[in-house]
Amino acid sequence: MAELPLIGEGAPRIDGRLKVTGDARYAADFSVPNPAYAQLVTSTIARGRIVSLDASEAGKVPGVLKVYTHENAPKIEGVPFFGKGGQAYQGFRPLQGVEIKHEGQIIALVVAETLEAAREAAFRVKATYEPQTPAATFGDGGTETEVAAEISKQHTDPKTGDADAALKDAAHVVEAEYETATNHHNAMELYSTTAHWTGDHLTIYEPSQWVYGLRAGVAGELGIPQDKVRVLSPFTGGAFGSKGTVTARSALTAAAARALNRPVKLLVTRAQGYTTASYRAETKHRIRLGADGDGTFVGFVHEGFELTSRPDTFLVSGTESTVRMYGFKNVRTKVSAVRADRNTPGFMRSPAEVPYMFALESAVDELAWKIGMDPIELRLKNDTKTDPITGKPFTTRQVRACFERAKELFGWDRRVAKVGAMRADGELVGYGAALACYPTQLAPAAVRLTLEGKGRARVQIAAHDIGTGTYTVLAQAAAGLLGVALDRVEVELGDTNLPAGPISGGSVATASSVSAIMKAAEAIRLRLATAATTSNDGPLAGKDKESVVLKDGRLVAEDGTGEDLTDAFKRLGVGTVEEYAEWLPDGVDEKAMRGLYNGSVKIVGGPMQDRTQFSFGAELVEVRVNPRTLSIRVPRMVGVFASGRIMNRMTAGSQVLGGMVWGVGSALHEQTEIDRRYARYVNDNIAEYLVPVNADIVHQEIEFLEEDDGEVNLAGVKGLGELGNVGTNAAVANAVYHATGFRARKIPIRIEDVLKSHLV
Amino acid sequence: MRHTLRFLLGHDLVELGEVDPTQTVLEWLRRDAHRWGTKEGCAEGDCGACSVVVVRPEGGRLRADAVNSCIQFVGTLDGAQLLTVEDLKGPDGRLHRVQQAMVDHHGSQCGFCTPGFVMALYAMDRRGEAVTYETAVDEIAGNLCRCTGYGPIVEAALAMRGTEGAGEHLSGREAEVMARLEALDDGQDLMVGKDGRTFHAPASLDALAMLYAGNPGAALVAGSTDVGLWVTKQDRPLDPVIWLGRVKELRRIEERTDAVVIGAGVSYTDAMAKLGEMYPEGGELIRRLASVQIRNTGTIGGNVANGSPIGDSPPFLIAADARVVLRYRGERREVAVEDFFISYGEQDRRPGELVEAIVLPRPKPTEHLACYKISKRFDQDISAVCGGFRVRVEKGVVKDARLAFGGMAGTPKRAKAAEAALVGRPWSEDAARDAAAAMEGDFRPLTDQRASAAYRMKVAQNLLVKFWYETHGEGGQIRLVGPRRVVHG
Ligand SMILES: Cc1cc2nc3c(=O)[nH]c(=O)nc-3n(C[C@H](O)[C@H](O)[C@H](O)COP(=O)(O)OP(=O)(O)OC[C@H]3O[C@@H](n4cnc5c(N)ncnc54)[C@H](O)[C@@H]3O)c2cc1C
Ligand code: FES
Ligand code: FES
Repeated sequence: MAELPLIGEGAPRIDGRLKVTGDARYAADFSVPNPAYAQLVTSTIARGRIVSLDASEAGKVPGVLKVYTHENAPKIEGVPFFGKGGQAYQGFRPLQGVEIKHEGQIIALVVAETLEAAREAAFRVKATYEPQTPAATFGDGGTETEVAAEISKQHTDPKTGDADAALKDAAHVVEAEYETATNHHNAMELYSTTAHWTGDHLTIYEPSQWVYGLRAGVAGELGIPQDKVRVLSPFTGGAFGSKGTVTARSALTAAAARALNRPVKLLVTRAQGYTTASYRAETKHRIRLGADGDGTFVGFVHEGFELTSRPDTFLVSGTESTVRMYGFKNVRTKVSAVRADRNTPGFMRSPAEVPYMFALESAVDELAWKIGMDPIELRLKNDTKTDPITGKPFTTRQVRACFERAKELFGWDRRVAKVGAMRADGELVGYGAALACYPTQLAPAAVRLTLEGKGRARVQIAAHDIGTGTYTVLAQAAAGLLGVALDRVEVELGDTNLPAGPISGGSVATASSVSAIMKAAEAIRLRLATAATTSNDGPLAGKDKESVVLKDGRLVAEDGTGEDLTDAFKRLGVGTVEEYAEWLPDGVDEKAMRGLYNGSVKIVGGPMQDRTQFSFGAELVEVRVNPRTLSIRVPRMVGVFASGRIMNRMTAGSQVLGGMVWGVGSALHEQTEIDRRYARYVNDNIAEYLVPVNADIVHQEIEFLEEDDGEVNLAGVKGLGELGNVGTNAAVANAVYHATGFRARKIPIRIEDVLKSHLV
Repeated sequence: MRHTLRFLLGHDLVELGEVDPTQTVLEWLRRDAHRWGTKEGCAEGDCGACSVVVVRPEGGRLRADAVNSCIQFVGTLDGAQLLTVEDLKGPDGRLHRVQQAMVDHHGSQCGFCTPGFVMALYAMDRRGEAVTYETAVDEIAGNLCRCTGYGPIVEAALAMRGTEGAGEHLSGREAEVMARLEALDDGQDLMVGKDGRTFHAPASLDALAMLYAGNPGAALVAGSTDVGLWVTKQDRPLDPVIWLGRVKELRRIEERTDAVVIGAGVSYTDAMAKLGEMYPEGGELIRRLASVQIRNTGTIGGNVANGSPIGDSPPFLIAADARVVLRYRGERREVAVEDFFISYGEQDRRPGELVEAIVLPRPKPTEHLACYKISKRFDQDISAVCGGFRVRVEKGVVKDARLAFGGMAGTPKRAKAAEAALVGRPWSEDAARDAAAAMEGDFRPLTDQRASAAYRMKVAQNLLVKFWYETHGEGGQIRLVGPRRVVHG
């Protein structure tokens, strides 16, 4: 099979024009005939029952069409929770009874002629409750802690050797607890659903990173065949994991549209999005990490605690990654779920790695200080070529090269190995480092690829562009493989009328989609090449068909002889060649393809049968701490990454740049605050949920190392969307320690906490 | 009285007879005008995705301001030209230079924030002022992007002036727009409505005062940066709505020898320059208040009238001994800003009485005045504690002290015990520290998600000490504002 020629490495997005002109259509931008507008009403208690729900005043507002409550709501069949192989964001369905499971649960859906009327009616819905005391988070009475391995079939705790015994004899041991905060994705685009029926056929416009999953979920919930549902999400305004599962609103909106016999548009407010969709739950970690005299790691214990809801066990289990970061000889891990009265958490950009790597990479830094070793040196000393748990080799692992290049770019040599010893402009300076990683994962994908004799190509796949540059990268792949110019390729995404693409999650989308395109392109090449080489005349007659490729609008043999595409097509007697291809990653059987079409996810990667595959990176951060106010700033960040084949330096670069900004947010800004008395999110808006703004980010420098990893897939492509924001939080915290002597074991770092340390 | 709302959408005249008083510009654009390019990311003025540009004649030329369409009611467009992202590309399809720069520099990932950034940058480009790193970052502080990390967008901003692109279709028609907008400005009071609910935009102060006195339950709207959120966040029905944006008397800044009088309709943007001239500290405080879009409509009058304990301007105004001019029908009265705030949710303002202006005394040479805003994030964030201090020092001795705080009590309030501890003493670090200690008697702050009570108290006390340091020339080291390249809440 042909290799993937790299073209347009630095090409700007092909959809850039649509985006700057406002012509890109996001789900909420589609017009439907004569729509009604819906507004959600959500509960103000976290636990208990609805005693009464009075919608009479709401019903009187001019323009109100219907107020759905648990008393008159359409029946919704539950589909299984995503964590159990289904599509649902949470197993519990609101509006189907009086029970309240979390604050902000949907208790009514108002539908009206206008948004203004829907809003006013929502304001007038009056609920009375029989409340019970909720448990909000870790440490609250009423939470239940369960061991993951005992309650979840999918979960095993990775383990090797005897960590506890090894730690007893270790020369240096760090034993510490770390905590990460509740975070919400806060993609810029709000959640919305527009439902439009024509006869028994339903079209849903909804921002999604998994249109086939949404189709299956909504069909299941409404009890109708999947092929009666079409889902469209050609552009998604950011998702970060929040738009991959099916939330309760979709089927409710569709059911309302069916009952009212008119299209319904629902826009979920920013605040309602906090409780009716997923988020990153808070975590706690108990770490024990020991080394012998020269810094060789001898034992590692990682116990994680993750908050989840009462009905669902959602766990990210990041020990699967942390145990593979260094050449640990003895490892013990354990993950526990802690249930509270909260909505169900879910995937958020590097779900497992952000919290778990914070713990590991902080502990490694602590150990380095204990031993008196440079923290990067300690990391490199414990680098490994094999997976310590499975004993299998890493496909590629350029940890050393990443750190060495990052040190150079950063000027790490200037580091003074003493706390509080570096100053600039009257401020304390700290340097911090951390390892970034992300498992290389893949998923089945199907694609339809078309090549016209006139040199135009089309890629059709129900993959998604959630900001990741999918349109551009898939166009590049098709252009390179079919030998046409980039601007001659058209890409269609985000529509269940297209062949099923992978979920845009787990950084699988690019590699899997490109792999499918390679397969389809090969079939096209072969058809044209066979015709040309087996023909009686023409420049390619009699040549080896394997040696003939599509290049620069021509079909050419190795020696350069060849013919224009138009001639090659003439020989075939067609104007267009279309190939449909299904691609399955290693170790995935045929059934997975049917699963893909039916909305079930199969993702493989990280540790595999014969190998372990990851992307790696090194992140170095400088912080400046004002000695009087203790305010922390990040003037400088360097990231060097090794992540297989980089299809487009521009889109790839923006993925990791944005990712590192997320890392700063995780370390210094982002926290969903919870009022523990009511198990309620307090800062459920983007004024008070602090995402980094412009002024918070100053200088970022990034680089990608060359990496040829032919084992992960044919294209040699690894994922990128989630690598950049792993480890950054630890790098910042480690730098703060270097500057001040304050060890932030809890993020985001608060000045109050630094103050309490009395160190500075 | 006119019963038709009139404005230009791009270059098309729009006339609306039926207008829901609380329909937002964003809703109208997306639903009625079928312009989907403008996006909704929060409906609270926080994200800038909904930014549009509103053009109005002013002093013989056109003035173009980026505003948040999500919290502006359609009625507030009366007499203006509304430009959205759809208007920027040329008739031949060529991108405007701002758009082209965003494409070239990869300023867009998921693209959802992009129309908002484009419009914010367009407003900046159109004003013609120099684009530097600092001004660009300030300009887009009210636009959030969750994908790019901003770097590429700032690069686009810096490059936009040097980028080739369309623009003539807008700049070439300014004279025409000017003439059309002036013709729309008919001096008539406006009343429009729907389903019995009404939106009023009186054209004179007298008409406004009479109308409000006759409808004391009406929602008075200045910049709509608070009122807009009552609707979009709390779903509150408002009726009638009275907008004071057409009252020219309220948009004036009057210079007197001893004071400057800032009309209640003057936007922060306009007040900032004047304030900054008189009180550089006050100007800087306003630069940090919200974002360009919010400052383009929001008013100091609204900030005082809303009675919020965490508004940023009251501590400064109290420290500067400013006064509020109140107006009921034909009657005017003046109260000191500090006396205007009675208790949480209660102000010295009777039903139907409106705030007409703020009288801000000019500074005296012996006075030191400083403002401090403590928030989690440097830009675009609500204060946890906000302080405005003024001391008059003569021959080294404190003659007068006014130490006002927001975020420490149910209203913006002076620290009287701390002031008493200062007056009469030499302006020394000891005196500042003693006064800080005395502050314990002044306040019992709340704990909320912005800060704990203890943190608030500690910060308030430290600010006073910091103030002392700054008046002794140590400003550089303890100010975050210093070099704008490295600011971090
Ligand atoms: C994103 C965002 C960020 C913000 N950041 C800050 C910040 O950093 N600091 C801060 O202090 N505030 C902030 N605010 C709040 C708001 O901008 C200010 O309070 C502003 O000053 C309100 O002015 P306005 O003209 O918009 O008032 P409006 O919203 O129009 O009115 C506010 C209140 O005052 C009344 N009112 C207005 N004018 C008059 C008048 N002439 N007479 C009598 N009553 C009147 C209204 O009826 C209403 O009760 C922010 C708001 C938003 C949306
Ligand atoms: S939608 Fe966010 S500021 Fe208007
Ligand atoms: S590009 Fe996605 S929010 Fe800015």
